[in-house]
Amino acid sequence: MHIYEVVRRPVVTEKGTIMQEQGKYAFEVAPDSTKEMIKQAVEKAFKVNVTKVNIIAMKGRTKRMGKREIVTPSWKKAVVTLEAGQKIQLFEGV
Amino acid sequence: MKVSSEPIENCQVALNVEAEDAELDKYMKLAYNHLVGRVAVPGFRKGKTPRSILEQHIGKEAFLQEAMEHMIPDLYTEALKDQKIEAIDQPSIEVLQDEPVKFKAIVPIKPTVKLGSYKDIRIESSKKEITDDDVEKTIEQFRAQKATLVSVDRPVQFGDVITMDIEAKQDGKVVINRKDAVYEVVKDSYVPLPEFSEKMVGLAKGAEIDFVLSYPEDYKIKQVAGKEFQLKVIVGEVKEKNLPELNDEFAKESGQETVAALKGQIKKSMQETVDARGRQEFEQKSLDSAVEMSDVQYPPIMKKREIERIVRNDVKNFPDGVKGFERYLKSIDKTPDDYQREIEEIANRRLLRAIVLGKIAEEEGVKVEEPEIDAEIERMVSGSENQEDLKNFFNLPQSRDSISETLLTQKALKVLTDITSGNAAAESK
Repeated sequence: MHIYEVVRRPVVTEKGTIMQEQGKYAFEVAPDSTKEMIKQAVEKAFKVNVTKVNIIAMKGRTKRMGKREIVTPSWKKAVVTLEAGQKIQLFEGV
Repeated sequence: MKVSSEPIENCQVALNVEAEDAELDKYMKLAYNHLVGRVAVPGFRKGKTPRSILEQHIGKEAFLQEAMEHMIPDLYTEALKDQKIEAIDQPSIEVLQDEPVKFKAIVPIKPTVKLGSYKDIRIESSKKEITDDDVEKTIEQFRAQKATLVSVDRPVQFGDVITMDIEAKQDGKVVINRKDAVYEVVKDSYVPLPEFSEKMVGLAKGAEIDFVLSYPEDYKIKQVAGKEFQLKVIVGEVKEKNLPELNDEFAKESGQETVAALKGQIKKSMQETVDARGRQEFEQKSLDSAVEMSDVQYPPIMKKREIERIVRNDVKNFPDGVKGFERYLKSIDKTPDDYQREIEEIANRRLLRAIVLGKIAEEEGVKVEEPEIDAEIERMVSGSENQEDLKNFFNLPQSRDSISETLLTQKALKVLTDITSGNAAAESK
């Protein structure tokens, strides 16, 4: 898997915004990626130093479409911790 | 805030306002507080979105728009205070640039009036007397109204009322077919057709007549102009109008004891009407000449408001509102543009009169005191039912204001007419 395919999109949520103050940023990542791959990908994409990567497996939710039940796809969330003082501009808004 | 103002034409002031960063910031915060509760950003609960994310989500322009919506009115009022400008209506505001926010407001201010030498106006009041002739004419009309119909056995004359069976055909098709139609035979009548009544004259009861009539080529109603009709008429009854005799009996029916009293009463009421009209004309003439020698300037918005008021009043006369009004305009062959021009003229005249009269009232020190309003309300409610309710209604501040205004207009007009008729000068001597 190419390194560009690892990080899919930033996860912008209330919780994520609070965590930014501690230098932690959340991404959706490819399901078969590893912590090491994520570290390299984030460092390359945002020119920062990653000190820690935590991975959370997000279960798909079941939804009802009338009679049928559907399961939304499961995905993988990674929370990366940056070196103190570093920031990722993508999250900083305008 | 940086403000500058300059007077421009027609009693308006151009106000240039530039906001400073601190002010903008304050209103941006306000805008954020407003928006954050309303906009749902995915990933955040309503009201919990941070400012930067919100700005990203809805766009900077929308954000600024919201901020300016609050900021401009506030800055505008502040600027007015700063420049000591008294606005009489809403300004028209034009935003010149966004950052820093700069806008221009055109503020309408009080009309300026330069009164001419209205004290020198003299106008001949023409008093019209009701003559006995006029009274006679009115009484004749009374008698005609009270006329009774009596069947007679003689050929038809002008002034008679007949019943008839009538059948009219146009190109062989029956267009009218009526039995026992009542018809008043009047000379030179156009109803139902020109020369129809002339054909009736001389016919006796039971007579049958066939004839052909046509409308003239230049007849008003286009659909029938120049058309030919075949008519068939059978005369039914012939009745004569019988005017009641002018005697005390007749007078009693109209609520008076004698003929002389009736005449007196008619004369009096006619004289009153004529006098009132004369007085009104005199007031208008006086005011118009005062307007003519004055130099008045007023902001265009006043005219716009007046036009709106007139249109609203006109439209109110139609049960189905604007639609009916437009139909009416069409029926009298006027385009809305014509109408607009017309009322513009009226609005202009009304405004000039009101402004000049207001100024004269001010110059002459005309004032309306509270007790006068009370007296007027007393006069208005007297003779009507549920006086208490009415009184309460008239005592509302708005209606008191409007009564006061009416009284002021009346008093000012009185002062003006006293001057123009020369009474005031005579008094001061």
